Amino acid sequence: MGSALDIPLHVKYIQSLGENKDDLVYHLTAHLRMNAVYWGLTALCIMGHKDALDRDETIAFVMSCWDNEAGAFGAHPDHDAHIHATLSAIQILLMQDALDRIDVPRVVKYILSLQQPSGVFAGDHFGEIDTRFLYCAVNALSLLDHLHELDVEKTVGYIRRCKNFDGGFGAREGAESHAAQVWVCVSALAILDRLDEVDQDTLGWWLAERQVPNGGLNGRPEKLEDVCYSHWVLSTMSILNKIPWIDADKLTAFILSAQDLEHGGIADRPGDLPDVFHTIFGLGGLSLLGYPGLADLDPVYCMPADLIESKGLRKGWEALPRRSLT
Amino acid sequence: MSDLFADDPEWADVVPIRQYENVNPIAPIFYSEEYKDATDYFRGVVKTGELSPRVLKLTERIIRMNPAHYTAWQHRYKTLIALKADLEDELRLMDDIAKQFLKTYQVWHHRRLLLTALNSVDVAVLELEFLRDVLADDTKNYHTWSYRQWILAHFNNEARLWARERAYAEALLEEDVRNNSAWHHRFFVVFSSGVRLGDEDREQVLRRELSYAKEKIALAPNNPSAWNYLRGALEFTKTPFETLTSFVEPYTTPQSPNAADVVDLDNPLPSEQAELPCVAALEFIADVYEERGGEATSKAVEIWKSLANERDVMRKKYWEYRIRDALQSS
Repeated sequence: MGSALDIPLHVKYIQSLGENKDDLVYHLTAHLRMNAVYWGLTALCIMGHKDALDRDETIAFVMSCWDNEAGAFGAHPDHDAHIHATLSAIQILLMQDALDRIDVPRVVKYILSLQQPSGVFAGDHFGEIDTRFLYCAVNALSLLDHLHELDVEKTVGYIRRCKNFDGGFGAREGAESHAAQVWVCVSALAILDRLDEVDQDTLGWWLAERQVPNGGLNGRPEKLEDVCYSHWVLSTMSILNKIPWIDADKLTAFILSAQDLEHGGIADRPGDLPDVFHTIFGLGGLSLLGYPGLADLDPVYCMPADLIESKGLRKGWEALPRRSLT
Repeated sequence: MSDLFADDPEWADVVPIRQYENVNPIAPIFYSEEYKDATDYFRGVVKTGELSPRVLKLTERIIRMNPAHYTAWQHRYKTLIALKADLEDELRLMDDIAKQFLKTYQVWHHRRLLLTALNSVDVAVLELEFLRDVLADDTKNYHTWSYRQWILAHFNNEARLWARERAYAEALLEEDVRNNSAWHHRFFVVFSSGVRLGDEDREQVLRRELSYAKEKIALAPNNPSAWNYLRGALEFTKTPFETLTSFVEPYTTPQSPNAADVVDLDNPLPSEQAELPCVAALEFIADVYEERGGEATSKAVEIWKSLANERDVMRKKYWEYRIRDALQSS
């Protein structure tokens, strides 16, 4: 029917990231390095091979990105602090059971300092605003057990203003509904126990409509399907308890067909070059669809479900039952 | 002939700072000579806090090689402000970078900062023109569109900024009726950002918008954006879906070979090439029946069954959910 998921190959792929890659391309993505390590590590956890990356080296890398002036983490050594890198750092340290390395009060202060009068969060002090950064803030504060310091009404108020006529959410007030922005808004609301702000049936339907005839998912009407939407769309549907509205078999087949079965990793669509971003999001989608041999992924936090549950942070999402290996 | 800052006597007084040498194997660094040189010197001027014209030259070189280098953008902006540089000149200088790297967040955020600092409607007018150019290349670029929406909301000038937006969205839909970004923009302009000049008669506006959506649906019935727009307009104005039944019905059956002799402008018929029935129309009519309730519920159930088993099998479970949900409530 199609290929199975080649876990050992993808584990090797993640391990090889950073070795012998095209020089300039690797360097040009330095601004994403912290995120890339988080994506890689989460993928390894879902595949049951967390130890494929050295724990001490990972922790050392994260700590080398600490921006002591700002009191938070940058994407790379010598890069300025940024909320997205800070979230990824927290997530990595949590997965490596090293959260005690963080100066929590300083990081909390940094995060809260980025909230704007409108309720949205900036990514850093340079001021770019986006609901992605609002999600980073809510997620990070939650993982650090400091969610109580957030002005919830103000934060929820901004998300509410990003709700569009189709039930979806955009990056900013007035912006078009886009599946990735939908996920960050709905996940933030889930963490804040405010899913009452979502038109769940309308949005669930809009999300179900993302599935195109070849089984893949797109991010907006009339756009191309892409494996990463297996995460943005599917995770949101999981949070809204509507995964059954997607044709699981067709989506599974689509994700599997986007594997690079020569070098490992998963691409945005069949035939394209893989990258770690599409690898974790493809694996995340497969996990939520009950693919055998994978660990559960928490769709709200995009992290191992058992870890989130152990912190008492599991929300009421539902995935498809895990099929057994035959 | 070297282009490197290391070989440029003008830069002899700056101490370049190498990237983190004893590198952790989890994040090894590889360089191209030119990029390494530029970023070494960049770290040097960041350390000394220099905000000078040559820093503008340096940061420009970096962002042209790597537009995602957000620290370079930040330092560039600080430098521009410190030098009281001509920000309109800066916008023009950045135009080709915006066109080349239109999928990079920083490119747009920089322009937004410049627009905010300049605080000029004249500049905003020019910027909207520039964005038309950019969108001509990539008609659905998410960053560009949300930046456009920000400009409109921020300056909020009816006569000079808002006035031509609906026509602009319409022109784009003329080129590609399936452009979801353009549909979204139209809704943004007409409904969700207050009342436009000339649109004070809200009933007239609704008639116009419904007529527009219907016309576009007739042109290409299997277009989710147009149907979402139609539904959105009805919901926003709290207009019952029932009122559109006679328009929608012809879209729920296979094409009738005998088109009506009289053209009903209020209820444009599907174009000849249309693939009918269309799923969105069936969905719409089923919603109308469900809303009616009573005996009409079974008609809705029939439609949902046909969708589940025949017309939209991919979303079978969704249609089965609608059936269960309706039968439970009745």
